[in-house]
Amino acid sequence: MGTLEQLRDAIVEGQAADAVAEMKRGLDEDIPVQTLLDDGLMVAMHRVGQLFEEGEIYVPEMLVSSHAMTAALEVLRPSIVEQGVRSSGRVAIGTVKGDLHDIGKNLVAMMLQGSGFEIDDLGADVYPERFVQAIRDGAEVIGMSALLTTTMTNMREVVEAIGDAGLRDRVAIVVGGAPITQVYADEIGADGYARDASKAVRLVQEVLGRLKATDGRGATTH
Amino acid sequence: MAAAPQRISVEFQPLGRRADVAAGTTILAAARSVGVGLASACGGQGTCGSCRVRVAEGEVTPLSDAERSRLTAAEIARRDRLACQAAPRADVRIEIPPESLTTTQRLQLEGRALEVELDPAVAAFEVSITPPALDDLRADVTRLRDGLEGIDGLAVKRPRIGLAVLAELPPCLRAEDWSVRVAIHRPASEVVAVRPSGSPLLGLAVDLGTTKLAAYLVDLDTGRTVGRAGAMNPQISYGEDVLRRIAHANAGPAESGALREDVAGAVALLAGELCGEIDTDPSAIVDCVFVGNTAMHHLFAGLPVRQLGEAPYVAVVSDPLDLRAADLGLTFAAGARAYLPPLIAGYVGADHVAMLLATGAAERTGTVLALDVGTNTEISLAHDGRLWSCSTASGPAFEGAHITDGMRAAPGAIERVHYRDGGFLVQTVADRPAVGICGSGILDAVAEALRAGIIDTRGTLSHSHPLVTGHNGRAACVLVPAARTGHRRDIVFTRSDVSEIQLAKGAIRAGTALLLEAAGIDAAQLDEIIVAGAFGTYLDVRSAIRIGLLPDLSEDRFRQVGNAAGAGACQLLISRERRRLAVELAGRAQYLELTTHPAFEQHFIAAMGF
Repeated sequence: MGTLEQLRDAIVEGQAADAVAEMKRGLDEDIPVQTLLDDGLMVAMHRVGQLFEEGEIYVPEMLVSSHAMTAALEVLRPSIVEQGVRSSGRVAIGTVKGDLHDIGKNLVAMMLQGSGFEIDDLGADVYPERFVQAIRDGAEVIGMSALLTTTMTNMREVVEAIGDAGLRDRVAIVVGGAPITQVYADEIGADGYARDASKAVRLVQEVLGRLKATDGRGATTH
Repeated sequence: MAAAPQRISVEFQPLGRRADVAAGTTILAAARSVGVGLASACGGQGTCGSCRVRVAEGEVTPLSDAERSRLTAAEIARRDRLACQAAPRADVRIEIPPESLTTTQRLQLEGRALEVELDPAVAAFEVSITPPALDDLRADVTRLRDGLEGIDGLAVKRPRIGLAVLAELPPCLRAEDWSVRVAIHRPASEVVAVRPSGSPLLGLAVDLGTTKLAAYLVDLDTGRTVGRAGAMNPQISYGEDVLRRIAHANAGPAESGALREDVAGAVALLAGELCGEIDTDPSAIVDCVFVGNTAMHHLFAGLPVRQLGEAPYVAVVSDPLDLRAADLGLTFAAGARAYLPPLIAGYVGADHVAMLLATGAAERTGTVLALDVGTNTEISLAHDGRLWSCSTASGPAFEGAHITDGMRAAPGAIERVHYRDGGFLVQTVADRPAVGICGSGILDAVAEALRAGIIDTRGTLSHSHPLVTGHNGRAACVLVPAARTGHRRDIVFTRSDVSEIQLAKGAIRAGTALLLEAAGIDAAQLDEIIVAGAFGTYLDVRSAIRIGLLPDLSEDRFRQVGNAAGAGACQLLISRERRRLAVELAGRAQYLELTTHPAFEQHFIAAMGF
């Protein structure tokens, strides 16, 4: 079995130590960084997402697999930086003000990373101004998470702060977390809602596509 | 192309049972489809009114003529309906009043506890007073105080007497011919009641659970518990978990007031019921102790809860509250007292302190781990005279929620599961035909499925096992086939249910691991593991060890203690020393915040497999 295949299996099986070893082997074998990323990590995480959607695996396995992927990605990171590999887009993600729960947010961040996105992880208990700053720093998508009924209301403040800063057109906003619904996302004026980490990846790809299409139209009318 | 028939979800509270039905199905039929025993004397004709329920959320069909004639205007205004007449039009939440349930839920009231020496905060003294005369015109109060002067063991000088007690004093003294029993709250040096000579002196201890209230009536002269009663927490109609209730209270003073009054009303009913059983009335209650998680504590005391719902989740007050029962809206003896013990943190409440007291967990030498498993699991570790506590979000799976066929521990709930000779043997609450699975049942099911090789170490169901079938397009393991259930449908558990258990036990094990790490010790060093609460009492320790919820130690180190919080509250009623110790314990506990702990996620992930 080839290194790439073993790398993918280690990630899908959630074996972090094996994933790290296979990634190191891949680098030793001079497999191109882009190939390790695309055919190794991204294909593995796509498979994880698929298994999840099919009901074959659940959040526990997805968490374990994501951690294995992240461990392997860390091995690759210096080479990514060195070679200036382009990402699919830049996503700033954080748990909103007043909420310290970040395991769900971290899972979404890892799944996005495994799909080639560059992640600016703002952490937990993130104030609206920090999200606004992340857009100024280049984020194209803002992802917000809340686990508590009592903190989800702080998402609205972030959407408003982004509007007040005049940055609403430059960014797509997506939300998620246990108490969040599509209705709530619509109500606060977010661009999308995903109920799990796998759907979140597709949602981000979709809203980013829409955002870029709008940008394109914007350019032609000028 | 024909549209797919619309499915509607009907949630029944306080049972926590859900039905998935076709549009047009009545609430009564929906209840029966999932084995919820709803009274229906007339057999669904709309004539008896015994199936009255309340629509807490969601849209249902308009009132029928039968309902208009059976329900009062007030009932209609609060969205009461007859379950046999109304059909949901969209997803709904239905509340079943106790009288409409054919069987009552099992409430956890017993708690094994240490014996404590009787020394209540409120003590009573028999006093004989010289009646007034034309040459002795002292006021009644002066006369009472002078009478108290000569009493041995009173230890308080000239206690204060509040207005409510003053108002009762003259008629009582005269009716009792100047010989009375004076109840004095010694810490505050205050007269709380003047009662007929020889009359009993009662205390009320209440565990204010998020789901259930458990009340104990205690004879303060003997220290004995003379009555126990339980009720559902009426706040459930504002949301099952404390966060929803905090969100509701945040809406304004009317909302937070309603939350407070609902619990006070339920406590008053329980007190009346318990006093009635011993042929007295709540005016004999001179002291109360209330324990509960921090949110319940704050809501009951009428304190703001907004800051509990947002990081860093701090309490208004962690010191004990020594109040008058009247401050809490309770009408007991004229000057009756109320004590709310100290708490440790926003999510480690006075109920946990009471549990530690009742079990002596933090007092004995040696190393003790004490857990109270619920939607939030509070864990404390006592080692070497030190005490560490944390709270971990274990979710409602062990209370039967978020589980395909989950339900609370009501009759018909599977509470024990054993795998033998290729099949499952189950035991249900009250030996009724199975209609769902409660927490201890789902724990057993996962442990036994693991032992039988039906699920692997990652939690995946083995498709090749004969008991694994398709269920709504997903793999499921049949626990009880339709032919043997109370509602003629298979009772199953799915990969999703296993996943809920994995997340719950991962959170509990991660919390345990970080406490052990903070103390610098290993699980093998634990001399005792105390498991409290309803689920903690009924769970099978071997199953809990097998799935990795509890550390793998010999069974004799485990102690399952029932509602220890209630037992702790009773101790606080009868012992001033226990009140002092509660303050000492809460002050000594070092709270560990897990959500921001850098090692939490790693431990959580590591603890999720089997």
